[in-house]
Parts: sequence; C-alpha cells; structure tokens
Amino acid sequence: MLPDTLGAGLALLTPLALGFTALGVFFGLIIGALPGLGPLMGIILMLPLAITLPPVAAMGFLIAIFVGGSCGGSVSAVMLGIPGTPLSAATLFDGRPMAQKGRAADAIGIAISASALGGMLGGLVLIFFAPKLAGVASRFAPPEYAALAITGLLAIVVVSEGSLLKGLMSGAIGLIIATIGTDSFTTGYRFTFGNYNLLDGFNLVAIVVGLFAIPEMLVEIRQGGLTDRPTVEPVRPGFRGLMLTLRNWGNLLRSSAIGSFFGVLPGAGGVISSFTAYAVAKTIAPKNAGYGEGAEGGVVATESANNSTVGGTLVPSLALGVPGDASSAVLIGALLILGYFPGPQLFVQSPDVVSGIFLVYFFSNIALLVIGIAATPLFVWVLRLRKAYLIPTILLLCVLGTFALQASLFDVGAMLGFGLLGIILRAGGYPLAPLVIGVINSVGLAGL
Amino acid sequence: MRKLAKLAAVAMAVMVTPAMAEDFPSRNIDLIFPWTPNASMAANQILAEAVGEELGVAIPVISTPGAAGTKAYMTAMGRPADGYTIMDAWVAPLVLQPVLGKADWTYKDAVPLHAGVSNAFSIGIKSGDERFSNLQELMEYGKAHPGELRYSSGSRNNLPHMVIARVLQSYGVVAQNIPFGSDADAFQNLKSGEIDFSYVNVNNWQQDQDAVDVVLVMSDLDESREAYGGAPNFNDFDRDFGLSGLASMGWDWWVVSPDVPQEKVDVLRKAMAAAVTSDETKEKIRALGYVPLPWDYDQYHEIVGPVQEQLGKMAEALAWEQEQLKKLN
Repeated sequence: MLPDTLGAGLALLTPLALGFTALGVFFGLIIGALPGLGPLMGIILMLPLAITLPPVAAMGFLIAIFVGGSCGGSVSAVMLGIPGTPLSAATLFDGRPMAQKGRAADAIGIAISASALGGMLGGLVLIFFAPKLAGVASRFAPPEYAALAITGLLAIVVVSEGSLLKGLMSGAIGLIIATIGTDSFTTGYRFTFGNYNLLDGFNLVAIVVGLFAIPEMLVEIRQGGLTDRPTVEPVRPGFRGLMLTLRNWGNLLRSSAIGSFFGVLPGAGGVISSFTAYAVAKTIAPKNAGYGEGAEGGVVATESANNSTVGGTLVPSLALGVPGDASSAVLIGALLILGYFPGPQLFVQSPDVVSGIFLVYFFSNIALLVIGIAATPLFVWVLRLRKAYLIPTILLLCVLGTFALQASLFDVGAMLGFGLLGIILRAGGYPLAPLVIGVINSVGLAGL
Repeated sequence: MRKLAKLAAVAMAVMVTPAMAEDFPSRNIDLIFPWTPNASMAANQILAEAVGEELGVAIPVISTPGAAGTKAYMTAMGRPADGYTIMDAWVAPLVLQPVLGKADWTYKDAVPLHAGVSNAFSIGIKSGDERFSNLQELMEYGKAHPGELRYSSGSRNNLPHMVIARVLQSYGVVAQNIPFGSDADAFQNLKSGEIDFSYVNVNNWQQDQDAVDVVLVMSDLDESREAYGGAPNFNDFDRDFGLSGLASMGWDWWVVSPDVPQEKVDVLRKAMAAAVTSDETKEKIRALGYVPLPWDYDQYHEIVGPVQEQLGKMAEALAWEQEQLKKLN
C-alpha cells in the first residue's frame, strides 16, 4: 500500500520541508559531535519550533536532527577519542586509530557515508515493510529480549582487546552498575543507598562520556606538547569516504540489516546494534584485516548500523505508536501535538503524511551525505587547535553536555566519577567498551 | 547604630521586594516531568508553551524519570525555591507513593499553581472476543472462572493495577495480573490475544481503535468518556465502585516548593490559570485525548484530599487480589 501513496507524500515535500530537513541535519551533526549532547537533546530543544511548522516539515526537521545527531557523535569519536553520544562508542575501535594514523578525514568521510547509506537502507526497510515488521516486533516478549541481550553480551568476547578475562570482568562491572535504580517490575529500590538521584540509576550518557573522555584527556596531558601547534594537512571536501565505504558493500548491507532489525525492536536501540554489527564484522573479516587498529570496515559497520537503526526505530513508532527509544518517544509526542496519532490508523487515515515522513527521512540521509562531506574540513580544522585550548574546552563541553541531560549536578559528578573509574580500568589494562555493553544489555536481561 | 542598620535593612527589603516580583521571571523556568518522554509529556509541552507565552520566558520540560516519579519530585523540591522550578506533579509522586509508604511527604507539602491534564484509564477487551462483549459479561465470565482470566496493567502494583483490582473486587472477580515492561506492551499482548483484558490508555486506544473495545472508562468525567469515543464510564453503571473524582486516573497539578516567595507564586498562578483556561490550549490538549482540568489552586485540597483516601482503599484491593489468588493456588 505504501509505495502507492508515495506520490501523495511527494506533494508534501515542499521547499520549506526540504529546507528544514537540511537545517536539521546540520544542527544534528553539531549537537551530536558535542560530548554529552546528542539527538535526544537536539530534538527536545527544537520541538517548540518544530510544532509551529506544517506536519511533514516539522517531522522532517526533527527526524533530520535524529539522523544527523546519530552520526555526529562519530566526529568527536574519530577526532578526539570521545564518543559524542553513546551511539558512537563502538566507532572508537577503528575510527580513533585511523585518525591517529593521519587518516582523520578518511575516517570521518567513511563515518558520514556509512551513516547516510545505512540510513537510506533503513529507510527502504521503513517504506516497504513497516506494517509487517511492526507485527513481528509486537510479538517480541521478555524471553526474546533476554535472548537478544545474552547474544549482545557475547560481543564482549569479540571487542575485548588483550585479556578476555579482563574484558569479561569489565562487562560484569557494567551489569552491576545497571542494577542500580528502581526495579521496573517490583518497584523495589536496588543499591540506591538512600540517594534519590540514583532512583533511575546512572544515565548512560554520563557513563560513556566520563568513561571515555576523562581518561583520554589525561593521556593527552601526559603526552605533553600542550602549547605546540599540531600540523594537520588541510582537507578538501570530497567523496573519497563514500568510495571507501562502497568498497565494503557487503559489510555495509549486513550492518545496515542488523541496525534495522534492532531498530524495529522497541527498546533495543542504536548502541546495541552498533556493537553487534562491529562484533559480526570483526568475526567474519580475515585476521589480517586490522580490526581495532584502524580498519575501514570497523567504522562502516558501526556507523551504518546505528543510523539504519533510526529508520528501523520509526517502524514501531509510526506503525504501532510504540517508541523504540527516548528520541522516537519525543518524535511521537511531536506527531501527537501536530494532531496525528501514530498507529495502524495513521496509515489508513493519513497515508500522505506517513509517506511524506518516509520521504523526508530518506532525504535527510541524502542531506547528511552532502552536508557531512562538505563540513569535513571544518571538523578536521579542530584538530589544529593547541591542546592547551582544546582540552579545557572539551572538558567544559563534557560538563555542560552532561548537565544538560536533566539539569543535574549529580549527573556531572557521576560523569567525573566514571572518568576516574575509566582511568583506573585503563591503567589496569581493562577494556572500557565491554562495560558499556554490560550496561546497555542489562535492560533485556531484566526480562528474564 | 543598630537601629539604623535595622531600618536600612527594612527599607532595602521594601525596595527590593516589588522589584523582584516585577523582574520575575527573567530567565527560563524548568518544568520537571516525572516520566520518560511520552504523550503526557506532549500534553504538558502544550501547557508549557502556553504558560511560557504568558510569562514571556521559555519553559523547557525536563524528563526526570525514576521510582514512579519520586526522583522528579525530590529533584524539584530540592532545587532553590526561587520560582524557577515547577514540578509536574502526577498522582503517583504526589499522592500514591506516600500512600504506599515510599515517600515521606503528602500532597499538602506542595504549593499548587493550577490543575493540569487528565488521561482517564480504561479497561479494554479484544474486539470480537466471543466470550464477552461488555463489562457485565466480562465480570460474569470472571466470576464463573475464578483466577483464570489474565489481564495486565503494564508493570504490577502501579495505579492502573490498583484501580482495576478495585473494580474487580467490587464484582468479586479474581484474575491474574501479568506484568509487562510497559502499558504499550500490555496493549500489544491484548490485541494478539495473549491476555484477556487490559488497562488501556487513551493514546494506545486511539492508535488502533478497531482492535480493542473499551468496556469501562475509569472516570466520572464526561469528557473522558468522549476521549474514548463515548465508551461507558462509571456513571453508566448502577454500582458504587468507590472511585470518584480523580482517584482512578492519571492526572497532574503543577506545584512548587512551599518556600517559593508568595509574589512569585502569584505570578506563576496567574499565568497558568490564563493558559489552562484558554480555548486554544484546551483544544490542543483535547486533540491528544487528554482532558484539561479546570480547577484553580484554591480547589487543590478539596479535589486532591479525597484521592488519598480512595487510593488507600485501592491498596487494600491489591492485597485482596493477592490473597484470593493464593487461596486458589
């Protein structure tokens, strides 16, 4: 039914809708690249403006922020070794080593291209299979989610560099951290120690930003040369990243399929999908592919997966009214405010709006490719700043970004605390990524 | 000299106070929302826009979930009492958690600005279910098959569970509550026939009206009935469920800390009253399936007071349900 109505949706693709979609991508890229902030914050900030627009322009604007924000985190992951959002935590594995080898522009180009292409593939899934896939997703119950979570935990084995035992211990710490908060089934409090700030556990953003940013900054300081001006070759906009991504077309298709699958399942999300896609890509690749040392395929896998998740997430959101994550919950809220009820009846009563939304989603990925590539020199320019300016600025952004989550100083304290934990773990040779995998898979395990 | 200093201090206070009220608000006011983003947040976003326009500042809605709203309540009340933090106080953090012994405040400890919105809960069955087509038949079936009916309220021991338990108790029906991670999951499982009836919120129902028949809107507000397409509510049954007013549904008031200076409270009250009673705002809220609540701050105790007592009865109904199920097993 849907492809038949695409023509009607096309009529809603006005210059206003396209313009705001492009603007949303640019804003999303920026807010995603700033540590701590991310697509959710961007969507919430722009919601009051969006709901004054016509429905397709409004949803295009917000969805584009989601798309750009999901990719923006990779920019800081590559350049600074700090994932701007938890979505890009897995991009550190190979994106950062690529930059350290002087291939920052390639890494960013691949990240943007893979994100855009992955997003488009997720869009195709959305356009052609939304109602059917929503039916499948609705049959997923706690046992299935628990099975997925256990599978997700297996990724620890793949991403643990060095000692597997240390990787598993790091993952176990993540699982323990995730037990803090209120049990959603019994409403009992676990390990809150009477502190009301812990009633919902630790915020994932505070965990990821603290864990990766603080130790990385410490390493940079210890390396010295704080006032030296780094010599970085100027970068011209180009589509080399796109070519490098297309060279990994098998990986791209597979990782996008993984991302779309996880997106369709409410609650799974882009973080799990990017780690899973990376684990699969690394396992399948030949041993000399150099995963973990700057392999292009690693960046392709993680970034195509987390952006195709956005398309997948829109499936249950629009077809069932069940949000896949917090960002899509706000998108549903925006749709409600605009006067449209997501769910099967939306497809019957307003097929033109649904088609329009699908098309702006698709267009936002095209805009991501163009705007992202064009802005790459700007991103790389940041690398030319002296460390004496760069490090305090990044730390300030980490603090502001984390504070902005809930206007909470406790979250800032937690971020710094996880920074200390990250320093200790790194010093002991314990990998940090398994800890994040432990935290994000705990939700599914709670369904056991 | 001491007298002179005191006089100067009083003079300063007199000079400063009106200026403070005039200048307020001079920056954004945070609205602390106690759940993860959802339709209720959208409803309050509409209110926040309208109140913000009245005040000339933005009111960002900050989602602060945790422990059925308790974290948000403590966060809001722990902020400086300067009028720049408003708590979006839903029934759970304001009244229910204290009734359950999980919070040490009462609704009397908060200062109301104005009532907000209500989303009435309802009981739904799968459309075309051959065993029952209305509440009476559902209850008769439940009585004839004690402990066999499976229903869900999303997570267990939440407000919808308490309300449904109270309704079931009034009919003497014993059924099993199956927990799901969210009410949306429960709705999906109702549609697929995994459970026999379920708590249905207005947004879930509006998303797929043909799939589920609402057999009881748990409210005595006529507007709530309208939100569910005219389905029967408490007023349509010749039976006292012991659930009148606001007790049986999700609703909120915007409140502030009791330490906020009166002149600032007055400014906020005036703005919220104007926003909530504006036809445009009411229309937008109704379009979401929510009911704008008309009560001003001076009706707070009269409206919320009886809720506490009724929630106590509902907690007893939960205990009754557990006891009856134990007997059957």
